[in-house]
Amino acid sequence: MSAVLERPQAPPPRQLILNGIFAENPVFRLALSLCPAVAVTTTVMNGLILGVAVLLVQVLSSATVSLAHALIHPRVRIPVYTIIIAVWVSAIDMLLAAFVPALYAQVGLYVKLIVAFAIIISRLEVFASRYPLIPSLWDAFGMGLGFLLALVVIGAMRELLGNGSLLGVVLAPRKPLLFFALPAGGFFSIALLMGFFNWVERRMAGGKGAAPRRAAAGGGHA
Amino acid sequence: MVASLTAACALGAAMLGGIYVATDRYQKAASLRTERQAITQLLALEAGATIEEIELFLDAERSQVVYAAHAFGTGDGEGERLTFSLDGQLVAREGPGVHDAGGTVGAGARRGLIPLGKVYVARVGGRLAGFVGESTTRGYKNRIRYMVALTPAFEIAGVRVVEHEEDPGLGAEVATRAFEGQFIARSAEATASLDVTRDPMPEDWRAALAQLTRTPVDEWRAAHADLIAREGARPIYAVTGATISSRALTDGVRTTVERFRRRWELLEAARGGAPVSARAEPDHGGPQ
Repeated sequence: MSAVLERPQAPPPRQLILNGIFAENPVFRLALSLCPAVAVTTTVMNGLILGVAVLLVQVLSSATVSLAHALIHPRVRIPVYTIIIAVWVSAIDMLLAAFVPALYAQVGLYVKLIVAFAIIISRLEVFASRYPLIPSLWDAFGMGLGFLLALVVIGAMRELLGNGSLLGVVLAPRKPLLFFALPAGGFFSIALLMGFFNWVERRMAGGKGAAPRRAAAGGGHA
Repeated sequence: MVASLTAACALGAAMLGGIYVATDRYQKAASLRTERQAITQLLALEAGATIEEIELFLDAERSQVVYAAHAFGTGDGEGERLTFSLDGQLVAREGPGVHDAGGTVGAGARRGLIPLGKVYVARVGGRLAGFVGESTTRGYKNRIRYMVALTPAFEIAGVRVVEHEEDPGLGAEVATRAFEGQFIARSAEATASLDVTRDPMPEDWRAALAQLTRTPVDEWRAAHADLIAREGARPIYAVTGATISSRALTDGVRTTVERFRRRWELLEAARGGAPVSARAEPDHGGPQ
């Protein structure tokens, strides 16, 4: 399919990166990969480590697909994308276990799950398979960064409210709202932050007097 | 279509195989290092300590218990192997000093054996410095894997939760130094009847335990000797809202200490008290 289509003009890098962080933020806008976003983000550190792993996998997979998409038969593209993601995830998993065992002990369980992250395969299908290498790299970087930042923000909120600490530094003598460290609190954190992002975006759009942006209906992507 | 799928699989497999071969030994070395570090810390060992690893297996077919002892980080083919019947009689003894050709000792002999656990025995200059037993217990959500360190007199030197999946903020609190610290300095006799209470923890004890994250254990014990003595006679205070996890770890520690004591008596009698490497002549004397 993609071989027949003429390649569209890619947006500039800056727009691609900002797109991943704000307009199409994987967690707050597209609402993709919410399960891991809830599961790991009990602390800032956990969110950061998983975010970095996702960023790496996204960039590597997008690069691979962008380079190899001409060789992939369109009918089997989804299984091939899955294999590509799985290979990169397993490679990172083994490297982490070998060289940073202390970190791996904390997030090892979640790293393997990156294979099933909707955000990664969706970027391969939507972007990397249609654009050349360089824009694909920028898009992957932007999306990965957006996911990373989202995890860090959720992690910060939950660690601060649920555990009274930030990056392991104790700030409050007691746990202010333990609820936020539990799974249910994860959903609430995401909902609150998502609402906050919508509010900010509306304020910004209103301030400029611009029409609502295309991505305001972001959830429809999935 | 088939070709591109096959090629993708083959390429991916080749790549992962390569990475596995390249990283495998680093991973093994890293996990050994972590384990050794945990043992050294728990027992506060000096640099020159030797650690012997004793793995315990059940041979269900022959109703026998097998103890495979070897130096830390080596395969069990290089060590000594003692087999006991279930009533504690020494049945067989194999090892480098006894059995030259290897024979049944080695990886092949592991078949059909059910692993029961592991104990590390630490020695400094040939003298016993302590033990670390590794075991698992059933937590609230999944197994909790933990280590219990004992002094040669079977007093608890430390407890460490190595792996768990308890809820953060609730059950996960049993994996903190403050909770683990409650076990320190309890004797084997006291541990045998150790219980859990849901009473609130006294504030002075809570404050003392909180210091464990930044103070080395021996300094901490010296600084809070009277508090430790007072609390040593009391049960373990459960984490608020996580009585099941607290009880699970306490029960696990109690059983580990009890079982280990009995096993060590058996082993000591059979081996004559000397480490495998230091004993020149094997004696075929029976246990007890």
